[in-house]
Amino acid sequence: MEHSQHRTISADDLKLAGDGVGRLTKICGAIGILGLLATFLLYSGNHQQFYFSYLVSFSFWLSIALGALIFVLIQYATRAGWSVVVRRLAEHTMATLPLFALLFIPIAFGLHELFHWSHAEAVAHDALLQKKSGFLNPGFFYVRAAVYFALWSGLALWFRRRSLIQDLSKDPLTTRLLQSVSAPGIVLFGVTVTFASFDWLMSLDPHWYSTAFGVYFFAGCFLAIHAVLILLCLGLQSRKILPGVVTFEHYHDLGKMLFAFVVFWAYIGFSQFMLIWYANIPEETLWYQNRLQGGWYGVTVALVVGHFALPFLFLLMRDVKRRRASLRLAALWLLAVHFLDLYWLVMPTLHTHGAELHLLDLTTFVGIGGLFCAALGILMRRGALVPIGDPRLVESLSFENI
Amino acid sequence: MSLTQDTAADGLYGLLAEFSSPETLLQACEKVRDRGMSAWDAHTPFPIHGLEKAMGLKRSIIPLFVLVLGLGGAAIGMLMQWWIATKAYPLVISGKPLFSWPAFVPVAFECGVLGGALGAVFGFLGQARLPQHNHALFNSENFERVTDDGFFISVEAADPNFDREETEQWLLDLGATRVEAIAP
Amino acid sequence: MDTVAEIDPVVGRPALIAGEPDFHSITESVAAPMEWKPPIGWYICLGISLLMLSLLGISIGWLFWEGVGIWGNNQPVAWGWPIVNFVFWVGIGHAGTLISAVLFLFRQKWRTSINRTAEAMTIFAVMCALIFPGIHIGRPWLPYWMMPIPNSMGMWPQFRSPLMWDVFAVSIYGTVSLLFWYVGLIPDLATMRDRAKTKIRRTAYGIFSLGWRGSMRQWNHYEKAYLLLAGLATPLVLSVHSVVSFDFATSQLPGWHTTIFPPYFVAGAIFSGIAMVTTLMVICRVVFKLTHIINPLHFDRMSKLLLVTGTIVGYAYSIEFFVAWYSGNPYEGFTFLNRAFGPYAWAYWIMVSCNVITPQIFWIKKARTNMTVLFIASIFINIGMWFERFVIVVTSLHRDFLPSSWGYFRPTFWDAATFIGSFGLFLTMFCLFVRFLPMVAMAEVKGTLPQAHARHPDPESDLEPVGRIA
Repeated sequence: MEHSQHRTISADDLKLAGDGVGRLTKICGAIGILGLLATFLLYSGNHQQFYFSYLVSFSFWLSIALGALIFVLIQYATRAGWSVVVRRLAEHTMATLPLFALLFIPIAFGLHELFHWSHAEAVAHDALLQKKSGFLNPGFFYVRAAVYFALWSGLALWFRRRSLIQDLSKDPLTTRLLQSVSAPGIVLFGVTVTFASFDWLMSLDPHWYSTAFGVYFFAGCFLAIHAVLILLCLGLQSRKILPGVVTFEHYHDLGKMLFAFVVFWAYIGFSQFMLIWYANIPEETLWYQNRLQGGWYGVTVALVVGHFALPFLFLLMRDVKRRRASLRLAALWLLAVHFLDLYWLVMPTLHTHGAELHLLDLTTFVGIGGLFCAALGILMRRGALVPIGDPRLVESLSFENI
Repeated sequence: MSLTQDTAADGLYGLLAEFSSPETLLQACEKVRDRGMSAWDAHTPFPIHGLEKAMGLKRSIIPLFVLVLGLGGAAIGMLMQWWIATKAYPLVISGKPLFSWPAFVPVAFECGVLGGALGAVFGFLGQARLPQHNHALFNSENFERVTDDGFFISVEAADPNFDREETEQWLLDLGATRVEAIAP
Repeated sequence: MDTVAEIDPVVGRPALIAGEPDFHSITESVAAPMEWKPPIGWYICLGISLLMLSLLGISIGWLFWEGVGIWGNNQPVAWGWPIVNFVFWVGIGHAGTLISAVLFLFRQKWRTSINRTAEAMTIFAVMCALIFPGIHIGRPWLPYWMMPIPNSMGMWPQFRSPLMWDVFAVSIYGTVSLLFWYVGLIPDLATMRDRAKTKIRRTAYGIFSLGWRGSMRQWNHYEKAYLLLAGLATPLVLSVHSVVSFDFATSQLPGWHTTIFPPYFVAGAIFSGIAMVTTLMVICRVVFKLTHIINPLHFDRMSKLLLVTGTIVGYAYSIEFFVAWYSGNPYEGFTFLNRAFGPYAWAYWIMVSCNVITPQIFWIKKARTNMTVLFIASIFINIGMWFERFVIVVTSLHRDFLPSSWGYFRPTFWDAATFIGSFGLFLTMFCLFVRFLPMVAMAEVKGTLPQAHARHPDPESDLEPVGRIA
């Protein structure tokens, strides 16, 4: 609790400068390219493994960018004061969404490897898939993906741009404009993210369906962005950037949101499981059955313990949310189990008997992650790290928890 | 406050100082705290943010009650269902195992919340020493305003640093608008 | 009066209470309805409510005499109005906890003007809700069979049944809501005690205020306990309507069995509850002259919540419909087409237009603060949310898997009488509440006034340097 010590903030504290960060960006970019190169080398002979590994890594990093977008939209829609000091970091993060449109290309190419429903001969022998073919067909799938990315990128870039312009103009009307656009933005986001999760994750098992799946995926996105924001702030502050701007009070709130969405994720996950388990209808239960037998059973248990029980008990404590080391641990841990969650959603389709780790899991993760971090580094150097023109900045700086 | 009985002989419970606003009360509280007073209190119509620090109060231990009773309640809820479903009245329903834990989560959860809520309420009542049927401060007519718009500091005669004249003058110096002696 | 002042986004935070009241004037305006002779309108309301309450008594009496055959419940629609009404009332009961607990955790200070009434409403709504399963069990003298207590028959409740979860969820919800409400009331009851002019009032308020003396050492624990109760009530409120939704969703029935039911029911419950709070608040603020404490700002916020939750409900309707088609399951598909275009299409479209289309009016800022619009829209939403439960219960059941088991549900006079009677109970309790208990949380409202903040003169916390960045 050192919030009364340094409140003298200079403009330099709010910008990324110096070669250190530039070097880090380049290193991230290099790692990303190396990762993708290694992926390319491993591709031959492992086509299917590549596409599934790629989908997991892609969903993981995308979920962070999507989480950032909805985070920003919600902060505007609710006229939040506390979060202004961290909002710009989310704005930079969400501006990586166009990169994901590019990174989607391999998935588009791997349609046949990933999605059973994309095979015309499979559909011909499957009455259910024939019924669904109005929705699950390659053409419409591509069109939908294009619409999602256009919409997400458009929203993300526009919001970031307006917010950056406000840094100079200090025009409070910008805030008002963004507030009024944010509400319909949330509606569009909700619909597109639901269908994107149906398209890319749920339709891996084209016979299975769950109406709560979109909400489940959203819970993961929203959890991930809070973990990333905590890590970004801690990382920047360890480099003497943002001193006294992001205080323990803000960390405490971010930590509370982590806690809340650990619980929300568990609530949706449990409800979905329990209802399907209880009704025990073959076409639904199979999806869980696949995840509760063989090697997947252990993964499922690990997910329940790691994604709910442990972080729940850990984050329950107030001091955990107000100390750097413990909060960093919680955020890193939650990102790791979030990855496991997506792995658990995707991989049982490929490896039906149990998790089989493959080098491609690592190379795709590092490849996409490296590019994502490099893009984030570039974006962060292109503007202040805090929305200095935001009319609620002072409120956010002086914010204290009750 | 346990010393109240001893001072009753002096015919004085303590002094009640009134302040005009939350600001003056908060500043006065810091002074009282810094003087090392122990048997004293501030009285306000609503909780004032920062006053607990100004008074040097410790953080409430109610969260501990809630944690223990909450987890305990959930555990008891689950155990009860386990015992009923597998020991007391085993009955196979819709082909499910006797101990169908997913079906037992909702009730266990509700029991946990009930335990936690009871912990919070009774923890509060115990910590705040409520209910209390009477208190010396209610002897002051002016004190009725504490639930309306009055801001008070009460200093008990039981405090080792208490001296009737000196403390009264001191409270007035701290900005009290009036100081009143309270009969026990 | 009925417009929100234009708020400069730089300042951003409008005053929560209109005018510039001092602490004492808050006490005066809130305490007044309890100390003056009530207006004639209150007697009329109470009279009508008591009439309706007696209708409930008659209905239940006749039910106990004659049996559940007096209702329209029959195969295939064995779950008729009693369940619809139960879910309707439990849903209404969710806004109180949302406003008190969830908005408290999100530091939405505007809640202080309305939380007390919303909490009271919650408790009365839960009372109404509990009547229906209570009288629906067929042998109303045996409800204690649902309690896990030793008995001479050696029988125990069946905890794999979602109906048992309901017993626990709703009764614990009622208990915790009551505790939360009461803890919040203690300081205000003390205010009433200290203002009391008669001995009876002094004693009554004195007993229930437990000897509260506004001590900061008490406030310190009080605030912690209140925060923790809010923290507990928040997952509780989510769980209760989730459990209610499990009653339906654990089945295998198309239209009931769907995984989005828990969050969708929760959103719907909050939606209906806030609509009910809005309806009551529009009336109360005028009748009891609280227009400066409950002002357009609060209605603006509540309309936004109506818009959000109404849109979430619309999202759930659409996803359900889409997945019914996407599942490829012919029974799922039929159920949903039958809902929209079958014999109960009228109910379905009442539901959609009231719940999804009506709240969209709140995109318009003027509509959010116009009392007439608010009143009409909130009534529509109440109707729509009742029909939502009707659609879920009746349309899913009336077309069974075999066409020989198809039917058309028609309510009887006694169905309607019991439902109207339950409003009698709700309104009677509400009338008594506004007469005898402070309907605005005085202590909390005072804490949100600008002069309540003891700004500490601390040179270190000077924020001036931020301005220099420019």
